[in-house]
Amino acid sequence: MLIMKRRAGESFTIGDEIEIEVLEVAGTRVKLGIVAPDSVAIVRKEARVTREENITASQPVAPDALAALAHRLWRAKTNS
Amino acid sequence: MPQIRTAYLGELDYADGTVFHFPYGLPGFEHEQAFLFLKQPHTEPLLFLQSLGNSRLCFILLPILVVDPSYAVNLDAEDLAALHLPPGRQPKIGEDILCAAIVTTGSAGQGEPTANLMAPVVVNLKEQIGMQVICAESPYSHRHPIPMGKDAAPCS
Repeated sequence: MLIMKRRAGESFTIGDEIEIEVLEVAGTRVKLGIVAPDSVAIVRKEARVTREENITASQPVAPDALAALAHRLWRAKTNS
Repeated sequence: MPQIRTAYLGELDYADGTVFHFPYGLPGFEHEQAFLFLKQPHTEPLLFLQSLGNSRLCFILLPILVVDPSYAVNLDAEDLAALHLPPGRQPKIGEDILCAAIVTTGSAGQGEPTANLMAPVVVNLKEQIGMQVICAESPYSHRHPIPMGKDAAPCS
């Protein structure tokens, strides 16, 4: 991983077409401005992770696996 | 009464009044905006979020308090507005909202099931509007372990 330090008002580029500027640093939050071609998708990491997790979670599950999962949940509850 | 073929519960009749609307769909499934919440006695406490538009699309959910009894809802002003919930206070689970985590069972039996506590499905029970709330500053993981007993002996 490349690490660099930037202050508010400073920017950096990725390739020829993408520029990222640090607009503001306040407490634990950093406000960024991004210039990129329309063809480049910009998605917050947690949104991307959720999308990928949803696609995995949408895959069919065998009925007996579901029943086994429910059974294990029930056992955990009765053991606690 | 309209009928639906479901992914896990066969064919079912449902009343129009039991349909929940997800104006933004779910990430990855933005076009699926109408869902039913289903459950069946032998798989409780699992919930099924069955798409009305795609009979094969059904998410398996767990009530968030089953996964983590100390879970605290933290919706920002935008989330509250999108869900038509009153601003200025956090909604109560079970009273104002249903809050459930999508379960990933582990691909092809590999790995332990996990629940996405970072992005719970939240539903306004009164208005029947739902969305998956992605909590950017959530202290919870998208692959939170589910509290479970050891693998059950095979049932006969």
